[in-house]
Amino acid sequence: MSSAAALSAVLVVGLVTYSSRAGLILFLAERPLPPALVRALRYVGPAVLSALTVNLIAGGEGSSGVEVTEIAAICVAVIVALITRNLIASLTAGMVTLWLLLLLF
Amino acid sequence: MSNAEDAQLPISAPNDLIMRQAVRDSTPLFIPAIPFALVLGVAITESAMPTGIAWSTNLFIFAGAAQLATVSLAATATWLTLVATAAAINLRHVMYSAALAPRFGDQPRWFRWVGPYFLIDQTFALVSARTRLSADTWRRYYLTVGTFFFVLWNIAVVAGMVVGSSIPSEWRLDVAPAVMFAGLVVLGLTNWPGVVAAITGAALCFVSLGVPNNGGILIGAMSGVAAGYIADVVLDGRNLSTRGFPQ
Repeated sequence: MSSAAALSAVLVVGLVTYSSRAGLILFLAERPLPPALVRALRYVGPAVLSALTVNLIAGGEGSSGVEVTEIAAICVAVIVALITRNLIASLTAGMVTLWLLLLLF
Repeated sequence: MSNAEDAQLPISAPNDLIMRQAVRDSTPLFIPAIPFALVLGVAITESAMPTGIAWSTNLFIFAGAAQLATVSLAATATWLTLVATAAAINLRHVMYSAALAPRFGDQPRWFRWVGPYFLIDQTFALVSARTRLSADTWRRYYLTVGTFFFVLWNIAVVAGMVVGSSIPSEWRLDVAPAVMFAGLVVLGLTNWPGVVAAITGAALCFVSLGVPNNGGILIGAMSGVAAGYIADVVLDGRNLSTRGFPQ
């Protein structure tokens, strides 16, 4: 990615982020958001982040880019997150799993 | 919102008292953000973007998940996919903006422009619990919380950049963002429709991995939102969506 493309991407993401945060405050909208919009917004996080996780594992190489060690690390991270509800524990367990598997194979 | 918390501060309080309380409230919320900042710091050093530009996400975006998506996707995604994905992650902030808009009604104009910049998850959690403070006191509290997170976040990310450039690539720290996002998905789930959204998003992205330009992310994301929305409507009708996700 060229410097110009990278910088413009950062600036546009920044602008959208700021607009999401500032829009209704600047317009001082006292009316609540339409219920249907709130309903949809609630599921943007889970949907985007889980799709992003899959995409990052594949590393842009289609399903051939998926490695067993990475899948194992993700599964452990998910299970530990479910049990502990703790991001530090989840991340640590996932990475330790990855390192153990890399050592073994 | 929370009477117990408001009780610790008079509705109008001297500056040093407000600022001390703001720091005391913020500190426990910052600790879970530390590993996130470290992973981001490492990802910045490994990004396909020039390091300085990847670092500048701290100033221009200032939102952990969107920053991590931006610097991680630069290697593989097209400009449009990267921007759409990272921007979508922060759409939830519209809900924060809506919830706090009434409290900004008697604030000076400059603060209506500056305040939203600091409106990260932690800031929202803290300032929305103290909306009964007087306008001046709330603004001072808000700005202290925001500055606290901004400064510590930047320090922790730079620490991660130092770590990242000194750890050899055999440690595969490039996998950390994906592991981080997997944990974030789980922790963000509060109800069954959310589970439906997450599973649909992951599954649809997986089956469309062959779509050019990483289009699978957006296909997964849009199907996930649609599935979550439908699940919400269906389950709400049967009054199940309040049951919550099992701990």
